Amino acid sequence: MTDDVTDDAPLSAAAEYALGLLTPSEARAFEEQMNRDINLRAELVLWQEHLVTLTDDIAPVAPPEHTFQEIADRLFGVQQKRWSLTSLLAGAASAIALAAAVAFVILPAPNPSHNDLIAGLVGDEIGLQVDAVFDPDTNTLTVDRLAGGPAEGRVFEIWLIAGDDAPVSLGLLPDAPSGQVKIATELAALFAGGVLALSDEPPGGSPTGAPTGDVVAVAPLNSV
Amino acid sequence: MTTLEDIEHYINRIALGDRDAFASLYNSTSAKLFGVTLRVLNNRAEADDALQEVYIKVWRAAGRYQSNGLSPMTWLITIARNHAIDRLRTRKKGQTGLDEVAELADPAAGPEAQAIASSQRAQINDCLDELPADRAKAVRRAYLDGDTYQDLADLMQVPLNTIRTWLRRSLIKLKDCLSQ
Repeated sequence: MTDDVTDDAPLSAAAEYALGLLTPSEARAFEEQMNRDINLRAELVLWQEHLVTLTDDIAPVAPPEHTFQEIADRLFGVQQKRWSLTSLLAGAASAIALAAAVAFVILPAPNPSHNDLIAGLVGDEIGLQVDAVFDPDTNTLTVDRLAGGPAEGRVFEIWLIAGDDAPVSLGLLPDAPSGQVKIATELAALFAGGVLALSDEPPGGSPTGAPTGDVVAVAPLNSV
Repeated sequence: MTTLEDIEHYINRIALGDRDAFASLYNSTSAKLFGVTLRVLNNRAEADDALQEVYIKVWRAAGRYQSNGLSPMTWLITIARNHAIDRLRTRKKGQTGLDEVAELADPAAGPEAQAIASSQRAQINDCLDELPADRAKAVRRAYLDGDTYQDLADLMQVPLNTIRTWLRRSLIKLKDCLSQ
């Protein structure tokens, strides 16, 4: 066993970590060290980028047909509603035309009547609380911002998601604590069983017709 | 044609909970990642299961992708490789080894996946070729077969401390070569 490199040549644990040669406790120690040392982190990235090319010779193999569905079931099956919402919100939408059909006017909130649909929109992480009430008799959506609001230079946009359809913009959440949106008849029919969501957007709202920023709150529309 | 920018875009959209982007990412990268889990685990059912767990990890970790400094395919392949090796080591600790004949590469894997797979230059192979053959083999076995120092010591029939010194020296040489 001879070698032409001297024993004391320096080697950080980055290479051994990338290869998986460290014991679990050594690996934890390296991670702690790396969290404090940006150079060590950079060294690990370099090793990972180099080592990954050892997989270049591995030919792609099409996975079984059912695999993606199984992944989706495992990820989204339990919380189907919630997940499908966020994905729908992020998906492409042809909602621009419909969004143009609605506009906000500031009016006092009416009393809820028996056939109203309400959604309590809560964004825990940003302390946001918005109550939305839809009155099918007048096709108006009343929004009450009880707490929280968008960051400086940002706005919240309101979206309706019905079934598997792409989200439809209902306009921007007004600066005032309370406001109303007049909903077009063809959209109003979609409220029952639908879901409301708020997304974080640049001033003027999403430029694409689909949500572009974080979805900050999601809530189903329920009967009073 | 899926580019690395597309892959990066998908990951960023996934971080926002975009399921369409997740499907796009899967379509353009799953053949490569399945190739990797299959290569490590050498068992189609286990590789399939590992692949599912890999994409579940990807969905959950997408928000942390930006800060790790890796290129998108490196990030994905590293997750797949590490996860497959974790499974392999768990299996080795058990009593049964379910070795199967390695699957042949599937020519049905799309041209997009092929393009991504071959988009990276393999400089490390040149540098490994400068090492003695058994040491290059040890590095490859550690990365692709998950061999530990103990596995390598058993394989090469040398004491544990010897293999450790041996491999560290090889890694120093490798580092020098890679940084040239």
